[in-house]
Amino acid sequence: MKNKNVYIITGASKGIGKETAIRLSNENPEGIFVLIAKDLSKLKKTRDLMSSKSEILVKSLDLANSDDIINYIQSIGENYGKIDFLVNIAGYVNPKSLQETTIENFELTYRINVFSIFILTREVVRYMKTNGGKILNVASTAGLSSRPGWSAYASSKAAVISFTKTMSDELEEYGIKTYVVSPGRCATDLRKLLAPEEDPSTIMQPQEVAETITNLLGKRGDNLDGQNIIIRKQLK
Amino acid sequence: MEKNSLLLLSGGIGARMQKSIPKQHLLLFGRPIIIHSLERIDKLVDIDKVVITCNKSHINDLKEMTDKYGFKKEIIIIEGGKTRQESVYKGLLKINTPSVIIHEAARPFVRLKEFQNLIDSKEKNITYGINIPYTVLKKKGGFIVENLNRSNLINIQLPQKFNTEELKLSHINAIENKKEYTEDTSLILDTLKEKIKILEGTEFNIKITNPIDYKIAEIIYKDYILNEE
Repeated sequence: MKNKNVYIITGASKGIGKETAIRLSNENPEGIFVLIAKDLSKLKKTRDLMSSKSEILVKSLDLANSDDIINYIQSIGENYGKIDFLVNIAGYVNPKSLQETTIENFELTYRINVFSIFILTREVVRYMKTNGGKILNVASTAGLSSRPGWSAYASSKAAVISFTKTMSDELEEYGIKTYVVSPGRCATDLRKLLAPEEDPSTIMQPQEVAETITNLLGKRGDNLDGQNIIIRKQLK
Repeated sequence: MEKNSLLLLSGGIGARMQKSIPKQHLLLFGRPIIIHSLERIDKLVDIDKVVITCNKSHINDLKEMTDKYGFKKEIIIIEGGKTRQESVYKGLLKINTPSVIIHEAARPFVRLKEFQNLIDSKEKNITYGINIPYTVLKKKGGFIVENLNRSNLINIQLPQKFNTEELKLSHINAIENKKEYTEDTSLILDTLKEKIKILEGTEFNIKITNPIDYKIAEIIYKDYILNEE
């Protein structure tokens, strides 16, 4: 078991998280995959599409609940003795104008998009710092510029970019590489909430983002850590 | 191989740094200075216990801090003494391994290999030291009174390794004779006339004492510890 890589992937029930889990297991079938999302039945569907050679755990977790995250990561860390990869993909959005944005909306957006990444990183590093590893966070191009009506979401993604860059330096001595990717328009459920009129078939697909993520987590990404990598598709 | 203990001196109160928190608790590239040493010490398989001496008012903060890092080794935090010498003696009373490594929390730039070299050496009393590249003369009453040949001098650095019983005896001897020393090689040399081996240290192993040291610490960390371009 010691030689098998342990992956933790959040948001694995759909979209980019689901496609990343499938692709990672196909490329690394010997890995141990811990899939986290709120919807257990959808997580099980992701599991069924992954390599049959992989050991796969599915866990329903509300990422807004810090204590649940801490307890679960500790149980994984104690069970396997190490964690090699943390892939934070879960995201939340409820786009509103400033006057319509409630404290609850802003707080929940930050709890899921920012606080959960901080807590997962802090807890996982305890089990990653001996052998090194990789942590990848999914931000968004929305975190790079003005997004009227998406203030909570866009600013939370800016926080993810900043947090990841800081971790890249702070965790370097442990041999932990951190990555942040910022996809542009991508055909996910979250995107539907941001742009309901858009035809998903005309924009970047989750599989394409998953391909970049998988590359970064493999050897091909070894020299690309610590910077915000924008993933955009040229649309004809 | 018999295990060693490590005594980590963390007695600074931040006076010279002009800070309200002790210098060894200041952040260096995201982690408290003392944690840099502790994380490397935690990887040394030949060390089974770490005793930290610190100011009484910092004991709880330090306990809380070390708990958060999940160190594998037993860490005992005790109140130090009024002087560095007294702190070492109080720490030694908690140690019963044949050898003890002594280090200072304010020296975060000691690599794992440098600790290991001390442990692996067959010499019982060893210190790190570097040559002095500048002139040091003796003064009295505001005047230079004596030349010193710098090729005969050494700038003593920690960590150091000592035979625990001999060092304890030296401290008792110093207490009885009311003698004060600023570090332990001079103490053991004076009291027991024991030979102390010198291992060549590095110029990167500075002790963060003054504000200027803290300013250059990040550069040393990146260049020497992380080996960044």
